[in-house]
Amino acid sequence: MKSTNYLYILILLLTFSSCEKVIDIGLETGEPRLVIEASINWYAETAGNEQKIKLSTTTGYFDEDIPKVSNATVFITNSTNQVFDFIEDPTELGTYKCVNFIPSVNETYTLTVIHEGETYTATEKLLNTPTITGVEQINDGGVLGNETEVKFYFDDLVNETNFYFLRIDDPYKVIPEYGVIEDRFFQNNEMFGLYFSEDLKPGDTLKFTLNGVTQGYFNYMDVLLEQTGTNSMGPFSTPTATVRGNIINQTNFDHFALGYFRLSKTEVSEYVIE
Amino acid sequence: MSKNTFTIVLILLMSVSLQAQKKFTISGVVADEKNKETLIGVSLFVQETKTGLVTNEYGFYSITLPEGDYTLLINYLGYQTVTEKIKLNQDLKRNFYLSVSSQQLDEVVIVDNKKRVDIRKPEMSVNKLTIQEIKEMPVIFGEVDVLKSILTLPGVTNAGEGQSGFNVRGGGADQNLVLLDESTIYNSSHLFGLFSVFNPDAIKDLKLYKGGIPSRFGGRLSSILDIYQKEGNKNAFHMNGGIGLISSRILAEGPIVKDKGSFLIAGRGSYAHLFLKLFDNPNSAYFYDLNTKLSYSINEKNNVYLSGYFGRDVFQLNDSFVNTYGNAVINFRWNHLYSDKLFSNLSMIYSDYYYGLRLDFVGFNWDSGIKNYNIKYDFKHYITDKFKLNYGLQSHYYDFNPGKIEPTGEDSGINPEQLDKKYAMENAIYADAEHQISNKISLSYGLRFSNFLRLGQQTMNTYTNDQPVIFNPDFQIYQSAEPIGTVSYGKNKTIAKFDNLEPRFAVSYVINEEQSVKASYNRMTQYLHLISNTQSPTPLDVWAPSDRYLKPQLLDQVAIGYFRNFKDDLYSLEVESFFKKIKNRVDYIDGANLIANEAIEQVILNGKARAYGLEVLFRKNSGRFKGWVSYTLSRTEQQVAGRTPEETGINNGNWYKTGFDKLHNLAVVANYKLNEKWRFSANLIAQTGQPVTFPNGQYQYEGITVPVFSGRNEENLPTYHRLDVSATLTPTKNKGRKWQAEWVFGIYNLYNRQNAASITFRQNQETGSNEALRLSIFGIVPSATYNIKF
Repeated sequence: MKSTNYLYILILLLTFSSCEKVIDIGLETGEPRLVIEASINWYAETAGNEQKIKLSTTTGYFDEDIPKVSNATVFITNSTNQVFDFIEDPTELGTYKCVNFIPSVNETYTLTVIHEGETYTATEKLLNTPTITGVEQINDGGVLGNETEVKFYFDDLVNETNFYFLRIDDPYKVIPEYGVIEDRFFQNNEMFGLYFSEDLKPGDTLKFTLNGVTQGYFNYMDVLLEQTGTNSMGPFSTPTATVRGNIINQTNFDHFALGYFRLSKTEVSEYVIE
Repeated sequence: MSKNTFTIVLILLMSVSLQAQKKFTISGVVADEKNKETLIGVSLFVQETKTGLVTNEYGFYSITLPEGDYTLLINYLGYQTVTEKIKLNQDLKRNFYLSVSSQQLDEVVIVDNKKRVDIRKPEMSVNKLTIQEIKEMPVIFGEVDVLKSILTLPGVTNAGEGQSGFNVRGGGADQNLVLLDESTIYNSSHLFGLFSVFNPDAIKDLKLYKGGIPSRFGGRLSSILDIYQKEGNKNAFHMNGGIGLISSRILAEGPIVKDKGSFLIAGRGSYAHLFLKLFDNPNSAYFYDLNTKLSYSINEKNNVYLSGYFGRDVFQLNDSFVNTYGNAVINFRWNHLYSDKLFSNLSMIYSDYYYGLRLDFVGFNWDSGIKNYNIKYDFKHYITDKFKLNYGLQSHYYDFNPGKIEPTGEDSGINPEQLDKKYAMENAIYADAEHQISNKISLSYGLRFSNFLRLGQQTMNTYTNDQPVIFNPDFQIYQSAEPIGTVSYGKNKTIAKFDNLEPRFAVSYVINEEQSVKASYNRMTQYLHLISNTQSPTPLDVWAPSDRYLKPQLLDQVAIGYFRNFKDDLYSLEVESFFKKIKNRVDYIDGANLIANEAIEQVILNGKARAYGLEVLFRKNSGRFKGWVSYTLSRTEQQVAGRTPEETGINNGNWYKTGFDKLHNLAVVANYKLNEKWRFSANLIAQTGQPVTFPNGQYQYEGITVPVFSGRNEENLPTYHRLDVSATLTPTKNKGRKWQAEWVFGIYNLYNRQNAASITFRQNQETGSNEALRLSIFGIVPSATYNIKF
């Protein structure tokens, strides 16, 4: 998580006789919009030939089911015009799979999605990611001193401006947690992904995923994560607006799609709590 | 003309002037009889000519009239009126000492000088509160509070509960100039708005200008909160203090040289955090502040004052997070009377605001702040009883440190970084006249010329086409442009320069002794901007000076009003309507990262703002039961249009409500004095909820749900309302005793309404479903304070 984001969370913790309550509230629902989740993760030490892309639409805020999008044409081309087709899996509607993808660091790829007569494209580079050098566990850590703190260390990629997308899978949480950081204050030094939780016990597995990403993705996820409420700032909320990714509708510009086309080399560390 | 004709005309003119009536001046100071504290804003009215004036900030007055006999009526809220017959056949020096009205409580209230609306003076859009009036309001969290009191006045709101700062007539919280003994205070709240930085015991008087701002003030668009500290009792040594559940305070004052010099020192601190320590909780949040003042009257023409203020807030979470911030001010002032008619004040001020953050678990230490050196020379020239001239000059030098980042230890991976310091100078020269044209019409007109220089030493970026923000038509978003080069400016070299003329004008027309109508116009310029992505000044906000890209904000405000006193001043009514237009109000592009941003110009867009409204204040000024009802109906909005027709602007270039828009704002303040022992007071506040942007949909991305939002600030939080009550118990054994004590009990938010400070939307981490979460900060909060004085 960005170091400055800590400040906001901590300020929230300081409020005095404050009280948080889940309430019922009626919300309007806008027109459905296409969502393209095109995250190409080339896991280290694998061939990276199996990839998937998910298509869905937006729906009412409190709806439990997310509508999937079927019968779209999805493919990725690389700089030498090699085409990688993504075919919808009939058992997993809305998920389009490719088995012959060729990932390569610093290669430029173009995504094309054709749906309901409109063509959406995006172009992005596959970025490199540092390896995870070590893991440190601190009991009685965290901000309040009663949590298990785990730090995953990695070395910042040298002599370039880097942005990293981090993910934590906590066994006690049903959804993953994300953060994006930049190497601005840490240039060429050791960096770390930090996670703490009161619930972790010895024997639990904590999974950490690291991806090198572009500045565009860093800005995108930074705003997105603030909106999802995981980085909620309580009384100091910023003005929000729907954040657009790098995918463009070539047929009808204003009918844009949500989501992002990102490609990274991906490093994973699974750590068992001691 | 021939030489002879000329000589004759000259002789005639001279004889005419010799025959003209001789004028004489009566001048002096008005002070409290017991402690010799000078009184600000005391009304001196000449019955025969129906002219008058009020004492200035240093208690001084000067009236010049033709030779003759006059009756002077001197009155001031809370004091007995003095009627003085004067024989003006030479210049007179007369000081007046007023005694506090003694209240006899059986049935009749004796000569209690009531608060009334000043019908005559063109001054409008001003609220004045003496500390006596503030002390009569409900006590919240154990002590009377200056900011909470002004929030009950029309046109004044705050962005939300638990947020510091205040908003005046739809202006941002950074648009208020807060002055303590003429020195600028940058952050006016402690503990995120729980307390103000002003120790009520040390304050003498405060005045809030919401419009019709006199030309001696400038540098902020929306308001001036002008607060003066007491000088200290020149007669005898006294102490007073209070012990409460959350905080305590103590003040000592007394003479250094009887009747000539005095000192005042007051301190305050909170200690609620100590309760946490009892439970082995290593977290703490506390504040402390210190007010000091030394006053000395060298002779009849010269007074000097030395004032200081130091305040700090500290938040600490387990040693790994420590946040410290606060203001520090020291100033030296010299009043000098050049003549009976010309009063001057020279102020030399150093003011400083510090903000520091230490995050041990990340290994990061941040220091930032503003240093301000200021000199002001103000003259008040009381030319005749109908014409007064104010003029002067001011100069500020600013040194901004946007941030210095350091590693906390050897094993920290943080690289030290110093963000470029910024320097600037703000100068002004002004003149205005208070002119009573006739019995019915009074005018106040003036001009302020302000100038701002952004200085080096600094390196600035240059951009293609001078555009630090570019529009990406593919993604329909604004992005930061890459600088194409840099320009270095040496120390004190001018990077940018701005000059502005700010005319000010106000007129009052007296319909009869009870009612009048007034109108005013002012133009204000603001050269400092608060870079903040939130609606109110949180300590993390950074002040930035104007430059080539961040242009000074300009405001034009017009206001008209109707003022009336009823039933011999028992009631008063003030109705005002205002309209403001602001140029160069910035807003941020999406995804703007403001923290530690060296190039703010890359994330801002220029826009405009406007605010308009109607304010009504109805007061009952005397009797056992006193109070007021204040209601404001207003709107404040901004617009950032695209710079070309292809660009979208923010919110598609449509006007949107600012974050502190409050359509309805109602405050009812009531005070009831049951008997000598008990006094009760209550506040009822009701306002439209803050504007917010709610989601109108959701989607899934990377395993989490993401909300989709509608237009900016289209919805509102639920209506905010609460009732506060307090009771003051003054034991009868106080009578005649040297030790005076009282108990004050208060309850904040009596019916425990969980007002929404924010509603956030999130995905529940345990169930995966979306939910709306309401955060309320203060439920019912009782308080008890024991106050003593001797």
